[in-house]
Amino acid sequence: MDWKSFAAEAAGGSLKYVLIMAAIIIPVMIMLELAREKKLLEKLAAKTGPVLKIFGMSPEASFPLLAGFIFGISYGAGVIIDSYRSGRITVKDMILVNIFLSVCHAVVEDTALFLALGASPLVIIAGRLAAAIIITYLASRSVFIRKYGEGAGG
Amino acid sequence: MTAVIKRGVVKGLTVTLELAKIVVPVYILVTFLKYTPVLGYIAKTAQPLMKLVGLPGEASVAIVLGYFTNLYAAIGAIASLNLSSKETTIIATMLLIAHSLPMETAVSKKVGVSGLAMVTIRVALSVAAGAVLNLVM
Repeated sequence: MDWKSFAAEAAGGSLKYVLIMAAIIIPVMIMLELAREKKLLEKLAAKTGPVLKIFGMSPEASFPLLAGFIFGISYGAGVIIDSYRSGRITVKDMILVNIFLSVCHAVVEDTALFLALGASPLVIIAGRLAAAIIITYLASRSVFIRKYGEGAGG
Repeated sequence: MTAVIKRGVVKGLTVTLELAKIVVPVYILVTFLKYTPVLGYIAKTAQPLMKLVGLPGEASVAIVLGYFTNLYAAIGAIASLNLSSKETTIIATMLLIAHSLPMETAVSKKVGVSGLAMVTIRVALSVAAGAVLNLVM
């Protein structure tokens, strides 16, 4: 085994990737913080709410959905729990939001990480979004979700 | 405004550090495997299965790491494998649809969704996405 070229490749390559990641992820995190400061989520949620009808969900569910979609599960979970406890979304909507987010969350950060490896960001987001729409649509029509009924309020 | 930017920088550095802690050791390990016959053997064994999603056999290492541990470990492996841009896009989409399965199963159980059902559906969607992207890209 060629130990010398192994050491050079392992050290040089891993360092290079960490630097590329840092160069991409730090600006991305700054943009996300600015978006949060400017209440971008609230504005976007008002516009996208009606689309959720295809899943039989109320427009109010778009705020927690977008929170997880854009900022990730840990931030999204807080918003989901808060929306549910304050009665803005139903148990059914909460479960559907979780199902959607299980395949499609933190799209900005996750996509940035793979961008650093040379992947195409648009294809990744489209692929994940398609998978999330399929799984959420199927779940919204399933017997499993029907038992949670249509009633509003948590 | 400066406080917001500072918060972004701190978060970016935190993610980079968390990432480096996993990416660097995995990168070194996979690079080591490349210099031994082990990776070649894994690649040959996985080749028929990986062909379905247009990936080389050695990419199976990254898929297994991503499904069973987390994305960062998978990223470390992908970085050391020298995949093409198409292959990287396919593996990225597959892994982003399904990753950290043992941990996230526990989470879905908490909200009243069957963990096994979620894992099955996510892996199926992940493989389907890989196969579709391989055909259309």
